[in-house]
This record gives sequence, structure tokens and C-alpha cells, in this order.
Amino acid sequence: MDAQVLISFAQVLLVVIFGLVCLNLYLVFRLKEIDPFARWNPSSINGAMFMGFWIVGVIAIIWTTRVWWDEMVMVHSAVSEQGQRIDGMFWRTMAVSILVVLITNTLLFYYAWKYRSKPGRKAYYYPHNNKLELLWTVVPAIVLTLLIFDGVSAWHDIMGKHPEDSVEIEINGKQFEWTFRYPGADNEFGETHVKYINDGTTNSLGFNLKDRKGQDDLVTTELHLPVGRPVKFTIKSRDVLHSATLAHFRMKMDAVPGMATHFWITPTKTTAEMRAETGKEDFNYELSCQQICGSAHYNMRRIVVVETWEEYQNWLSQQTPFYTQYQQINGGNTADAAAAEPVNVALSPQP
Amino acid sequence: MADEKQITHGSSSFHDEMAEHAHAHHDDHHHGNFITQYIFSTDHKVIAKQFMFTGIVMAILGVSFSLIFRLQLAFPDTSFPFLETLLGKWAPGGHLDPSFYLALVTMHGTFMVFFVLTAGLSGTFSNFLIPLQVGARDMASGFINMLSYWFFFASCVVMIISLFISTGPASAGWTIYPPLSALPQAIPGSGLGMTLWLVSMALFIVSSLTGAINYITTVLNLRTEGMSMDRLPLTIWAFFLTAIIGVLSFPVLFSAALLLIFDRTLGTSFYLSDIFIGGELLHYQGGSPILFQHLFWFLGHPEVYIVLLPALGITSEVVSVHSRKPIFGYKAMIGSMIGITILSFIVWAHHMFVSGMNPFLGTIFMLFTLVIAVPSAIKAFNYIPTLWKGNIQFTPPMLFAIGLVSFFITGGITGIFLGNAALDIPLHDTYFVTAHFHLVMGSASAFGFFAGIYQWFPKMFGRMMNKRLGYIHFWFTFISLYLVFFPMHFMGMGGVARHYYTNTAFQFMEAFLDIQVFITIAAFIGGIAQFIFLWNFIYSIFWGKTAPANPWKANTLEWTTPLHPKHGNWPGDIPKVYRWPYDYSKPGIKEDYLPQHIPDDEVEYEEGYMPDTKIPEREEIPQRERDTEETE
Repeated sequence: MDAQVLISFAQVLLVVIFGLVCLNLYLVFRLKEIDPFARWNPSSINGAMFMGFWIVGVIAIIWTTRVWWDEMVMVHSAVSEQGQRIDGMFWRTMAVSILVVLITNTLLFYYAWKYRSKPGRKAYYYPHNNKLELLWTVVPAIVLTLLIFDGVSAWHDIMGKHPEDSVEIEINGKQFEWTFRYPGADNEFGETHVKYINDGTTNSLGFNLKDRKGQDDLVTTELHLPVGRPVKFTIKSRDVLHSATLAHFRMKMDAVPGMATHFWITPTKTTAEMRAETGKEDFNYELSCQQICGSAHYNMRRIVVVETWEEYQNWLSQQTPFYTQYQQINGGNTADAAAAEPVNVALSPQP
Repeated sequence: MADEKQITHGSSSFHDEMAEHAHAHHDDHHHGNFITQYIFSTDHKVIAKQFMFTGIVMAILGVSFSLIFRLQLAFPDTSFPFLETLLGKWAPGGHLDPSFYLALVTMHGTFMVFFVLTAGLSGTFSNFLIPLQVGARDMASGFINMLSYWFFFASCVVMIISLFISTGPASAGWTIYPPLSALPQAIPGSGLGMTLWLVSMALFIVSSLTGAINYITTVLNLRTEGMSMDRLPLTIWAFFLTAIIGVLSFPVLFSAALLLIFDRTLGTSFYLSDIFIGGELLHYQGGSPILFQHLFWFLGHPEVYIVLLPALGITSEVVSVHSRKPIFGYKAMIGSMIGITILSFIVWAHHMFVSGMNPFLGTIFMLFTLVIAVPSAIKAFNYIPTLWKGNIQFTPPMLFAIGLVSFFITGGITGIFLGNAALDIPLHDTYFVTAHFHLVMGSASAFGFFAGIYQWFPKMFGRMMNKRLGYIHFWFTFISLYLVFFPMHFMGMGGVARHYYTNTAFQFMEAFLDIQVFITIAAFIGGIAQFIFLWNFIYSIFWGKTAPANPWKANTLEWTTPLHPKHGNWPGDIPKVYRWPYDYSKPGIKEDYLPQHIPDDEVEYEEGYMPDTKIPEREEIPQRERDTEETE
């Protein structure tokens, strides 16, 4: 601790000394009316700095891309069919962008350097050229049209109707955790609504306990997905906006209170395969929230497990249905269900 | 200075002019005391400076907020005791509180977008330049113009007050999406802090509307003789179109805010439905949070252009003056700005691709969004041939203008990723977005602001700013802004989410902690470099070298006013205009500039050049042929 204080003190002292030296030099120069920089030509310096900045910048960008390539998992090696399509499009767009940025920035900095002011130079009067204007109206328009075609068709397919044989899973958001619901043996979700919510009796998803379809529903805190099967998510929130993000699968959709949203993906790699591939034994897919939702927004994490169909079925069969858990905790009394009957809140006064 | 003032005061020609125009408010300074002259002034030049000073103060605050939360992002586990001293209960033990982190993010966004880049930029330069460059004695209504500033000032005061209340300032992000912004149970900042935010914003909207109406009226009605719309400097075109966007879009933000106020105080359900929070079921039914997003972004997207167009207008002027060349494609520039203005109203929902709105809407907005990229591209491309074969004077405003063009290109290009709905799925709400808009809207517009200040400082204060300090300021700012925002693209490509208090909670974000440290260091260097500007700015106001009448040898009308123009701008007649403002280095003309107010028969030609009224046309024909040969 003392050493730290000493070091900080020394640092401050150095800054002060540096400042005093600068001030001293400035005063001396001023007193003697010397201009130490008089021979520096601002045109050459600034022009050269622009060129230098650009060259160093491009090298730095290439180097950074190489170093961080493995970490930029959101733009390559997606693990869903939809994601692979998005990644392809990303790199096509990137190729266009790199070309445009390189050409325009290079010309900008090169011209700034090349046509820097020199004695005797007169600028060339060149107010317009309609052919050039036409060129850079039509070319971007064509390129953008191609990108739009690409984008519209991908968007349409990704947002389109999920296949009939999809596995259905519900993602429920609240401050600050995600909960998942599987439809159980009957493959149908029971009715839920915020008016049935009672955190005290663990009914935090708001099951209508009278709905028989809900009696075999599974409620879990870990998201398991079968590989190679389309999975359709229904996304809900009970308080504020959240955004269910499965970054590796290129899925993101807001959870909106009062409204269910949907997204479907087809995972292509199991967690085990990814662990083998990346060499990280503790690798996990993760679900995050990416719509600002409150103080612990940064921490709404759930682990996502992708596994083979058999493993998935096996895992499902090990889970206890919510209704059974509920009865164990609340004494199995059906009167409870009646007690959970909601009061009509529509007309109650505001708080 | 005092003598000079006396002389101009007593100048008979000014009195004659006053009598002719019979504008009562021009007499202000005769009876004016300190208060009417410098505080409740109706002189557009004083109001412009008021906007500028307030904008600079707000910018210092806004940037400081970002530096504080940058510390948290780079060093999530380190304790900074000075934060506790500064923020008290919001940084217990020197660690920033997570909800106060969000409050800082929100305030940074609000301050920078609204108070600095909207009011600070547009308010300063629209006010200062519109009357001076169109040749008017003042705005159409000096009084309403004064109100515009004071509403803005009140708005700033309310927003600053909200920083000091016990529940903290608004914390739901600058976009204040409900239900988070509507429910104090959801986050403490949504209590009184949010109420003050909404009140402040209502005042701000009044300020913006009164200002914009004045700008539009002045440009349309008070142009001097000969100043047709196709002879306006591009600055004025930009301010004019910006004001039109503001008038049409800010009222929608007002309605959005009003409905949110109703939901918060009267218990209506415009935006809220089916909410269970804090252990109780709320009564709201049937509202939709997405409705708010539509209303907000109906302003929010045009707002981007409200911020950007003035900066681009300033750049067009600065690049042309300091390249000693006409701006390339004057009419194409105007056309593309008009295109941007119109299209800016029909692209708003590209902020909402994954909000849960109908995906079909996403398709439509993707189409319009990529269409708006075309006029933006035209603007960017036109700057480059303006530099080509120029005689580039590296003055501080020119450096900032070139920097702006670079930011505009580099930041703008990522718009075609984000405007594509399918690509927006992985990139939405990641640092990729942060990088995009901080470069194209934040950095570019800030550079427009700096370019404008360095360019028109001599007209504002009659003194020059120090050139060398300007260079140092530019290079530190330019490089550090790139170092701060460019790496954020990589973070976005790694999926790191925005608005995260720390990115250590997720495996796939952890790798980017080093980069956060790097960015924070760059941000601090850039932030500290602004003191060079502040020093230069304040020192030069009082002790800078006295400016020549036309320091940049520019063509526009503001340089025909006296060194310290009084209320009324020109002591004698308002100059007439004979040509467009970009006749730089015109062949056959003696000087390399030809101001707008010089009559044709007073133009000085080069020796041996045969003056002829038809010359400009004759000159253009062979020149055009030469051009096409050279470009092909």
C-alpha cells in the first residue's frame, strides 16, 4: 500500500515537473522571441501525418483481425442453419465495405497529402462532372440492390413460419433471470397469464392450475436443445423489455410484456462437439439479455446445452413436471388452485 | 475596443439604414445595458454564442460521464476511491453502482445527442451563420429566437438538477423504452429522475421548434438581393433542411413523452400491459411498448440527420474554402441533402427489427434504409474530388473537416450491415452499433462543431485561435477517437452487448476485457486533449491575435461585415449578391477567390485576360471536355 502511494506520488511529481519544464521553455522562447517551430511547414507535416495515419491504421486493423479472429465468434462459424446463412451474408457485405472504405479513405488521405498547399500552386477549377455523379449514384444503387435481395430473402426465411416438426420451447424473461418451459408429454403448453403469478407459491410463470394441458409442463433453468431439429421459441416477459439472445446461434428477439414473440433456429453443433473443436473443456453456449432491463441486465445468464436427440429425450424424462413440484411444495391441495384464481384487476385503482 | 464601439455606434450610415428598415429591435444596443445586450439579447450573434457556451459546458459534462463509466468497463474489479468521494452512495467503496452505471450511460447519451450535438451544433451555427450568410440583419423574430435559447437553458438546468436527486437521474437508456422508464419499481432512476427527464425534454422540444421556425422563415424570406436559393452556401442549405426535419419530427417525440407521462401519472395504458413487478400485479392492460418505440424513433432517426446535416454543411463550406476550389457537385449536394431529408422520415423502424414488431415491416424498412445510403454515399464521394487538384491549406478547420469525412465514410459504411434486417439479428445492441453511431454521428458531428468553431471564431470574437494548438488538438482527438471507436467493431463481432456493467459475466465476452482497457486509455487521452482546445478557445477570446477582415479569403457574406459586427450586422447597406459562393481559383480571375458581393464590372482579372461577360460560359466548355479526358 505504502509503495503504491509512493509510486502515485512520484508519478504526480513527474507530471508536475514535465509541466514546469514546458512552461519554462515556453517563457524562455517567448522572452527571446524565438519560434522553435518556425521552420516546420504545417502543410507538409499535416499532409504526411494523414498518409502515415492511414497506412499505420490499415496495418493495425489487419493485425487486430488476425489476433482476435478466434474471438469474433458472432460473425463466423455459426452453429445454426440460419446463422450460417447470416454469416455468409455478413462477409459478402464486409467485402463490399472494405473495398469502399479502402478506396475512399485512401483517396481522401492521399489527395490531402498530394495537393497540400505549395508556393505558386493554384487549384484547378472543377465545379462538377455529371458523369462522375451519375457513376457514384448508379453503382452504389446497384450494389445496394443486390445486398437488399440477399437480405430480404434471408430475413423472410428466418422470420417465416417454423417447420411443422419443430420442438417448441418457451423462454420467459423477468428481472433478472430467464426461465424455460417445455410442453411435456402432450406436446401442448398449458395456459399462463401474469394474473396467475404468485411467487410465494413458486408459480412465477403464472400457470392456470386448472388447465390440464399445463399439468405435464416442465419448467427449467437450463436450456436444452436437440441438434439438427428446428426449435421454435416463444418469448415472453412479465415485467420490462428483455431480449433473448443466443449469440452463437444468431438469434435475438425482444421479450415484450403483454405480447409473445417468436424465433426459430436449427442448431447444428452439440456442446460436446464445440468443446472438442475449441479445445475448451468448460465451453458452454450462453443465453444473454441484450435489451437494457435494469441494474443486473449484464448478468442475465443461462447455460444452453445442445445435445443429440437421445440425450435430449433422456434429459427431458429426468425433469419433474412443474405441477408435481408445485403440489409437493404447497401440499397438493386443489383448494390452492382455487385460491390462485385471480381478482379482476382491470378496474382496480392505480397504485 | 471601446473606442471602436463608440465609432460604429455613432456611424451615421448605420442610423440611416436603421431608419430605412424601421426595425425597432435594432435599436437595442443604443439603450442596452449589460442584461439586454449579453443575457436577454435578441441579437442572433449573441444567442449563437450563448448556445455555444452552454453546449460546451454540456459537452464537458457528457464526456465526463462517459469517462467515469469507461473506468468501470475497463477495470470492473478495481476500486477507485475518488469515485466514492465524487458520487457518494452511487459508488460505494469506489465501485460504481450497477444502476448508476446505467444512469451515467443514459445521461451521456441524452447530453451528447440532444444538448451538445442538436442544440449546441445547430443552435450555434444556424443562429450565427444564417443571417450573416444570407445577408439579413437578424433572424425573422429576434424575440422568439431569444426564447428558443432560454427554453434550451431551462431544459439544461432541469436535466442537471436531475443528477442530484436521491433516486438518481433517468437510467433507462437515452431511448427511455417503457416499461423500464415507466416503472420506478423496475429501476430507481425511473422515479423522479425520469419525470425530470421528460420535463426537460418537453422544454427542449419547445426550444428546438421555436429555433427551427425562425431558421426556416429567415432563409425563405430574408435573403438579400441576388441571393437566390441556388446561390446559398451549403451551410445554409444544411441548416434549412435540418430545421425542416426538426419541425416535422420533434412534435412526435413530444407526443411520445406526453403519453408516457400519462402512463406514469394518470395510470393510462398506452405503453404498458400485463405487468407483474415488485411482487404485485399492475393494473395496466392493452398497451404496447412497441408503440413507444415507433413514436420515439419517428423522431429518433431523423434526429440522427438533425445532428449530422449541419456538420456536413459546415464541412462542405470549410473543405471548399481551404482547398481553394469550388465544392464538387453543388447541385448534387443539395439534391442529396433533400433526398436524405425526405427519406429520413421513412426509415425509423430499422432500429426495431428484433423488437417483436411484424417482420413484414422489417422488410419495408430495410428497403428504405438501404435507399438512404445512396444520397449519403453521393455526399461522401463529392468531398474527394473537391480535394483533387486543390491547393489545400491545412488550417485547423480544414483538418477537422477532412477528419469528419473520414469518420463519415468509416462509420457510415457499417450502416449497410445494420440496415440489413437479417444482419441486424446478431449485431443489434452489440458494440458494433456503438461503434457505428459514435463514428458516423458522434465523432463526425463533433468534428463539424470543432471545424465550425475554428472557422468562424474570427467572426465571432474578432480574434484568431492559435493554429498550432489547433493542430495538436486535432491530432490527439482524431487518433484517439479512432482508437476508441474502431476496436468496438471487433467487440461487436465478438457479440459483446451494449449497456453491460461488465462483460465478465459471459464466457464469450470475457476475451474482450483487454480491449476495454485499451479503449479506456484512448478515451482518457482524447478527453484530456480537449483541455488544449478549451485553453486555446478561452485564451484566444481575450488575448488572441486580432483577426484580419477575411482571414480565410472566403467568398461568403459574413466576411463583409466589420470585425466586430453590431446588432444589425452591416453598418451600411446589406451587400447584394452577384454569384454563387464557390468561385475559388476561377480561371482568369486575379485572386484565387471571388466574393459573392463583388459586382461583375468590379471583378479584377488576370493580366492579359480579356474580360468579357460571356467568359464563364465559354470557359466551361473546353474545361469540361478536359475533365472527362482526365477522369477516364
